[in-house]
Amino acid sequence: MAAEPVLEVRGLSKRFAGRAGRDPSSWVIKDLSFAVDAGEFLTIIGPSGSGKTTLLNVLAQIEVASGGEVRFQSRVTPVDNPKSLKPGLSCKIGYVTQEDNLLPWRTTLQNVLFPLLVQGRLDSETRARAQSLIRMAGLSGFENHYPHELSGGMRKRASLIRTLVYDPPVILMDEPFGALDAQTRAQLQEDLLRLWSLGRKTIVFVTHDIAEAIALGDRTLVLSRSPTTLAGEYTNPIPRPRDIRGIMTHPQFTALYQRIREHLTPEPHGSPTIAIA
Amino acid sequence: MVLLLAIWQGLSLAFGTYWFGSPWGVATRLASGVASGEIVRHASYTLLEATAGFLIGALPAVALPFALRRLPILTAILDPFMMGGYGAPKLALAPLFILWFGIGTQSKIALVAITVFFIVYFSAQAGVRTLDARLVQMAQVMGANERDVARHIVLPGAVPYIFTGFRIAMPYSIGGAVIAELISANRGLGYLIQLGAMNFDTTAVFVALTATTCIVFLGNRTLDVLERRLLSWRPRPNLDIEAGS
Repeated sequence: MAAEPVLEVRGLSKRFAGRAGRDPSSWVIKDLSFAVDAGEFLTIIGPSGSGKTTLLNVLAQIEVASGGEVRFQSRVTPVDNPKSLKPGLSCKIGYVTQEDNLLPWRTTLQNVLFPLLVQGRLDSETRARAQSLIRMAGLSGFENHYPHELSGGMRKRASLIRTLVYDPPVILMDEPFGALDAQTRAQLQEDLLRLWSLGRKTIVFVTHDIAEAIALGDRTLVLSRSPTTLAGEYTNPIPRPRDIRGIMTHPQFTALYQRIREHLTPEPHGSPTIAIA
Repeated sequence: MVLLLAIWQGLSLAFGTYWFGSPWGVATRLASGVASGEIVRHASYTLLEATAGFLIGALPAVALPFALRRLPILTAILDPFMMGGYGAPKLALAPLFILWFGIGTQSKIALVAITVFFIVYFSAQAGVRTLDARLVQMAQVMGANERDVARHIVLPGAVPYIFTGFRIAMPYSIGGAVIAELISANRGLGYLIQLGAMNFDTTAVFVALTATTCIVFLGNRTLDVLERRLLSWRPRPNLDIEAGS
């Protein structure tokens, strides 16, 4: 693995401004630091309400942080000034969100071509690439369907390849398979690993599912709940290529699952849980 | 429909054709009027005024909310005036327009345009305001600039709202033209109504009203066709159940 981390987060903090009648303000993320190596599949796991989405929004440059530093390819990118935010860092950081966020008035193909269109990179070569991604994602025959005519799993695939098509070096993924049934989910995880193994992009994948975090990641970060800090870090020894459906029985999977679960076990009852995201 | 005609015929028999032109009488007069080209000539003036007024009113009404999208202060200043304009009775402006534009076609077009403008403006504004912020953010992450966002996200998202505005404004545009003709004109369906009324020719009034309704119907069909083309991406309500297939 390359020595230089592609993405580095140092002492990142974020708090929302207080509202009348509430606490003056609450920290969502406090002093969070980690680094992501080039080509690494990093999974981040944390209980719901642990500011995972906020963290990705900050990394994608669509939300400001209150303090700290983010470095992309060793260059500092400002994160605390809303005016200087550059969403997606000039197409260097792709973002696949929880909801598919496909444009409802564009067909599958038009949605996949959309980033190329706005980046002025629409030519026969990129079109061919889009077509081959559509084929690989099993969406052949649905190119001219509108999003509302696709199933949830298909929309997810379309949303994923819409980001893959313009080849950003880093892709952020926010519980992309959260709302799917177990079958579709396993299928999409397999597809994602297959597509990833072709290009070896850097992926930061956020989830609240321990099994998913282990099955997909090279390394897993565990976050604590509000405020979010780094609670633990686990390197995943399970070799690739992995068999997603059979991984549950892998002895190393079980061991890792146990350790992370103990780590995530909530503190004794009594403190009310507050969901933020 | 048959029941409606029966009631109408019944009313005209009960009260006499002086009060209610009979449907048969209206139909024959309408047919002869169409055949002689008389009705068609007057209707085409009304249609021309309504169409021209609609276009002149609707285009800036659609464009303005887009131009104001990034100017919240100017929007806040304009809003009360727009609301006032929306609420003001347009008919009361007719004497002014006659004064400014004369009794010819222009004053009718102006009245239609101003009526249509305010209706479409508020629909288009609603469409621009219901913009999905998340879609915009995602597009920006993918490299879309301000112009791309306006063209590929704000505009298509607002089209259903703009169409709703068109649908509401369309009958108003034809009604506006007819009413403007009622006030002062020497041609058009409104003139025919006025002429019929002055001659106590109730059937002529009904003939002109029927022709007006036909134009509204035609306008609605045109919008249907346009909408099916422009909004094909929207989920269509499932009509199979109703059809009982």
